Amino acid sequence: MKYRFIIICSIYLLVTSCSNDGRGYEYMPNMYRSPSLETYGKNKIFNDSINARKPVAGTIARGYLKTFNYGPSLEDYLLAGEHAINPLESNSDNISDGEALYSMFCEHCHGPDGAGGGSITHPIYSVVPYYNDDKQKRRSGTTMSELKSGHIFHAITYGLNAMGPHASQLTETERWKIVLYVQELQKYSNE
Amino acid sequence: MLPENGIGENMKQYRSVKALIIILLILPISNLFADDITSGEKLFKQNCTACHTMTSARLVGPGLEGVTDKYEKEWLIKWIRNSQELIASGDERAIAIFEEYNKVAMTSFDFSDQEFSDLLAYLANPPVIEEAIATSNNIPIEEGMSTSTKLMIISLVLVTLVYLLVSLKNNLKSALGKDTETIPETLIGQYSLFISNNINVIFVSAIFTIIMLKFTYDGLMGVGVTTNYQPSQPIEFSHKIHAGQNGVDCNYCHSSARKSKHSGIPSANVCMNCHTYINEGSITGTTEIQKIYDAIGFDPKTRTYIDGYVQKPIEWVRIHNLPDHAYFNHSQHVVAGGIECQECHGPVEEMDVLYQYSELTMDWCVECHRETEVQMEGNNYYTHLHEQLKEKYKGEKITVDKMGGLECAKCHY
Repeated sequence: MKYRFIIICSIYLLVTSCSNDGRGYEYMPNMYRSPSLETYGKNKIFNDSINARKPVAGTIARGYLKTFNYGPSLEDYLLAGEHAINPLESNSDNISDGEALYSMFCEHCHGPDGAGGGSITHPIYSVVPYYNDDKQKRRSGTTMSELKSGHIFHAITYGLNAMGPHASQLTETERWKIVLYVQELQKYSNE
Repeated sequence: MLPENGIGENMKQYRSVKALIIILLILPISNLFADDITSGEKLFKQNCTACHTMTSARLVGPGLEGVTDKYEKEWLIKWIRNSQELIASGDERAIAIFEEYNKVAMTSFDFSDQEFSDLLAYLANPPVIEEAIATSNNIPIEEGMSTSTKLMIISLVLVTLVYLLVSLKNNLKSALGKDTETIPETLIGQYSLFISNNINVIFVSAIFTIIMLKFTYDGLMGVGVTTNYQPSQPIEFSHKIHAGQNGVDCNYCHSSARKSKHSGIPSANVCMNCHTYINEGSITGTTEIQKIYDAIGFDPKTRTYIDGYVQKPIEWVRIHNLPDHAYFNHSQHVVAGGIECQECHGPVEEMDVLYQYSELTMDWCVECHRETEVQMEGNNYYTHLHEQLKEKYKGEKITVDKMGGLECAKCHY
């Protein structure tokens, strides 16, 4: 009986010891892991021990000068629609850049033509307003097809309704490029 | 023949007339109910889904389950036409809702009377499809066993087989009136019979040596290679659901892959772009998504961030890790090289739990640099350099190694 128990145990250990949870061996770990800090890691210097630091308040990174000075409120949304101007020229280069960015950041909800039908099928995100809708007046006081570049930029930056803010994923230039492409889609016709 | 044909024709005519009558009878009835609701559903989906669900779940605005029981038709129409006007008129219920939902004004919808009755018909009788979606999404959990479970089952079967055979032998022996043996006795008996022959011993030791050598070689070659590394992560995030089923582009979450050395682990605010409103996963329910909320301090019931919450990072386990003496840059490969993420990371959109697909050894890097052609088209910055290369390697394929892709100092410095 004792033997049988040992055999069963050893077979169990043999079988369960095979997993991909470990990193295996390293040759000369000193060369693999230098003392410099990796972006995502821990350190003993800061209280929260996070390597990825936030920039000092008020820092402006090179190439990140603000082109859009409106807050997240509804009043600013309306103001932005009236006054904000796209610093980029609407040429084919910018529009095709915007199209590429649109396919990465917008298409899964807004669909390839800005008329819904994206790949996300969750009930909340499956049906979105069409960019070319020219009947229903929206919060902006205009229809979707009449949204100004400022409205669109504000929505990408701060989010609108169920849509979240995308400012951390896209630079302002990239957002303006998407605005140019969305304005093309506003002219898109279903027929 | 003729009369038969005639009857056939008559029958056909009779049948089609009958069918027509049935259709004509059914149409108006179905029109009365179905059409109202379907056109109402269309209206709802186009105009309302951005802020409302048909369940009791709160979105930007309240969930609309049973809204037609709570408020009378006229009040709802007034609210939808112009909620601000209704609030300004001092209607208590309107003010209460406005206050409850953070004073976000609802868009005014100027529907026609017909559209309103369609919409309200839909609101009163919403379809019951969400249950079906939830259950159909639940099915994939049960498919497939892990290899270790399979091996466990096989070993258990083998052990039972040994036990059965020995007890069978013992039964036979006791039937013949001989002494019975226990399992260890049988095993030892078989073993001493086996090693009594020298050829057997030599054969087994030779095989054992070969296997040991093979393991040693593989072990040495595998030092620092972590292919198939599949650690368990703090949140059971599934790339299969997000990138595969939902078709979210890799760049959406790993947005710095186009701009930086790192492809970037999305910060929790990127999760919240969708998970502010999606609080329940199709497989893990609320447990895994709750971990995001715990990290950043979000209350899914009120859909607000908790004031003064001490946020803590989600400590993802890094899978792809080059040794520090090798430099790799994502943007160089993604933007300039135009390489698809999957070429190095494998079919991520099919992985429930992510694992390392490629070896990430130097041999692997070099092999790709020898084979991959340089993208010359549409790259204005390097036009001059590319002209020179075309001149130098006339007619040949210009691969990455031809413009210094194998230089030591390109990656080791």
